Amino acid sequence: MDAFVELSAELTGFSAEELRSTGLVEQYAELAQDATDAELIQLWYTGVWRGQIPSARAYAEGLAWKAVGVAPPGTGAPGFGSWEHRPRRSV
Amino acid sequence: MKAVVVGAGFAGSLIAKVLGDNGFRVTVLEAGTETGHDEAVHRFRTALVKSPLAPYRTTVAAPSSDYLINTGPFAYSSPYLRMNGGTGTVWTGITPRMHPEDFRTADLGRGRNWPISYDDLEPYYRAAEWEIGVAADADEQRQHVPVADGYAYPMHALPRTYLDHAVASVVDGQRIDGRELLITGTPQARNGVPVSGYRPDGHLCAGYASCVPVCPENAKYTPRRTQKRWSPHIELRTRCVVNRLHADEFGRVTKVSYQRYEDDTTGRHTRHEVEADVVVLAAHAIENAKLLLMSGLANSSDQVGRNLMDHPALLTWALMPQPIGPFRGPGSTTSIDAFRAGPERATRAPFRIELGNWGWGWSAGSPDSDTAEFVAAGLRGYALRKAVADRVGRQFTLQFEIEQEADPANRVTLSEDRDALGNPRPSIHYGLSDYVKDGLLAAKRVSDQLFELLKADDYTSYKPDEERYFEHNGEPLRYWGAGHSGGTHVMGASKHDSVVDQWQRCWDHPNLYAVGCGSMPSLGTSNPSLTMAALALRTADHLVSHRAEEVRCTMSKAP
Ligand SMILES: Cc1cc2nc3c(=O)[nH]c(=O)nc-3n(C[C@H](O)[C@H](O)[C@H](O)COP(=O)(O)OP(=O)(O)OC[C@H]3O[C@@H](n4cnc5c(N)ncnc54)[C@H](O)[C@@H]3O)c2cc1C
Ligand code: SF4
Repeated sequence: MDAFVELSAELTGFSAEELRSTGLVEQYAELAQDATDAELIQLWYTGVWRGQIPSARAYAEGLAWKAVGVAPPGTGAPGFGSWEHRPRRSV
Repeated sequence: MKAVVVGAGFAGSLIAKVLGDNGFRVTVLEAGTETGHDEAVHRFRTALVKSPLAPYRTTVAAPSSDYLINTGPFAYSSPYLRMNGGTGTVWTGITPRMHPEDFRTADLGRGRNWPISYDDLEPYYRAAEWEIGVAADADEQRQHVPVADGYAYPMHALPRTYLDHAVASVVDGQRIDGRELLITGTPQARNGVPVSGYRPDGHLCAGYASCVPVCPENAKYTPRRTQKRWSPHIELRTRCVVNRLHADEFGRVTKVSYQRYEDDTTGRHTRHEVEADVVVLAAHAIENAKLLLMSGLANSSDQVGRNLMDHPALLTWALMPQPIGPFRGPGSTTSIDAFRAGPERATRAPFRIELGNWGWGWSAGSPDSDTAEFVAAGLRGYALRKAVADRVGRQFTLQFEIEQEADPANRVTLSEDRDALGNPRPSIHYGLSDYVKDGLLAAKRVSDQLFELLKADDYTSYKPDEERYFEHNGEPLRYWGAGHSGGTHVMGASKHDSVVDQWQRCWDHPNLYAVGCGSMPSLGTSNPSLTMAALALRTADHLVSHRAEEVRCTMSKAP
């Protein structure tokens, strides 16, 4: 498992901690046993595995969104009027 | 008085409510089924392509727009949903009024005039805004459309996006083609802070950024809200597909036939009929036309199904010089209205410009597409993360709603092909005139100048292998379907060249009404549903005040 997290961290630019906090490590390690690097990145970044989104959580925890610092549409409510503020620095 | 309403969507739910409140016995026949709210949210999250209809259950017996057959030179690509609540469940919830000029499009531009004016509709705009729940500021709207003195929208304007402020700080007061630019708040059918005397239904908009196709917070208006307020005089029957209206020798519609199914996965059904004193067709512009054609009614003018319109939308996309935080909050909270009216519309289609706050989601499939691009270019690790953050964090899109004039050649007819119930599938012949194409090109030029003013990096590209690509005057262009189907049972001043009168009553049938955007002689440059709702409330008022006359009529024709 640690090897999977390590590889994922190296490819995605997110720390092992950040990856674990998605709650998806087990699911993805199982799913992506024979994944290419590009497939593994796509899974982490967009929640898409070979043309499917395996769970609502996979979508909600997509790292592309986390990189930008916003919740994927339909998963998080930043609150009324929050969209008026300067975005938080994300990287 | 017994009314049958066909379709429990946007227009049908509104009319049924007024009739029910005024003592009509109302039966609403709805072709589709239901999708629970939580189920829709879940289906949205796990849908690979988050297209407008993805969250919703559809049935084999009542297919949605994916069963249309395109036969014309251009694809008609605007979807609609057959489910309780209709396309009004999917919509974005942007609710500008039409411009007064838009009611005189034949005189000032192309297409058809309305038999009524902006002033005739103004009180109903107000009624519709209160019924739907619209957040806007009257003084701000007065900058481009007349709003009655002393009027307050039921909710204060929503806060603008950070993008809106960033754009306004550069373009407000600048000029393009002699027009002064001003970023103006767009009226929204989603919950903001109420004025006194208004109690919002549902929660305050919390910024989920998925209004199309489903608002997890129920902050956006959908017809289910109106249905919750229906009186007990209203009976809703779902899974009932109306397939024919019957008229007697005097033209009065006497009964409605429908096919009822239990099983969502087959075309198995039973046949039924219901009698009515008055029938209101509210099945969506394309389905209304289909039903009239299938019934052989209302077509002495030969205009049923013709004049099909949409807003061919032009999308352009770019990067702001600084991060603006897209995908937070509603899809668009402001627009530029300077190109909606004026003498140019004599020569090319006018347009409205929406500032799009959801990155390049619709235009280019972001952020998945950006990720794929960077991965393919070999980026890994922190470099990848930074590239995605930098690219997506600065994205915005301009959406130009181009007016399309009523053209009798753009039309819905009945295909030879049948659906699972044995009913003809709608066949669509659709094209874009030079007037529209000139409008699209003018919009593209305005976009170029706006991006230059903003010092934005323009990433717009239209490629020949993409859907809905074409060239005009040697320039590549592309259009998107805005979802704004209209014109198919057009309203007019004379029975010789229109299907319904100013009350949306079929000229040929005194007790048959066809309601919805299908009645609109022009769509102008506004998202049409607020105008449609105002018309629906006006028709409902007419029905209520003419009830006595209707009853007399029914009795005199009785055998
Ligand atoms: C993605 C998208 C975004 C949109 N955003 C906006 C926006 O921001 N602002 C705006 O103004 N407009 C918007 N629209 C347009 C808006 O949704 C429509 O104008 C509106 O819903 C039309 O209302 P209607 O009552 O005519 O049809 P619908 O709302 O579609 O209702 C028709 C109903 O009739 C039922 N029906 C159909 N056939 C039959 C039959 N044979 N028997 C019985 N019942 C039948 C259907 O199941 C449905 O429930 C958008 C549309 C789309 C697709
Ligand atoms: S921004 Fe979010 S909460 Fe607001 S209406 Fe849209 S989906 Fe609903």
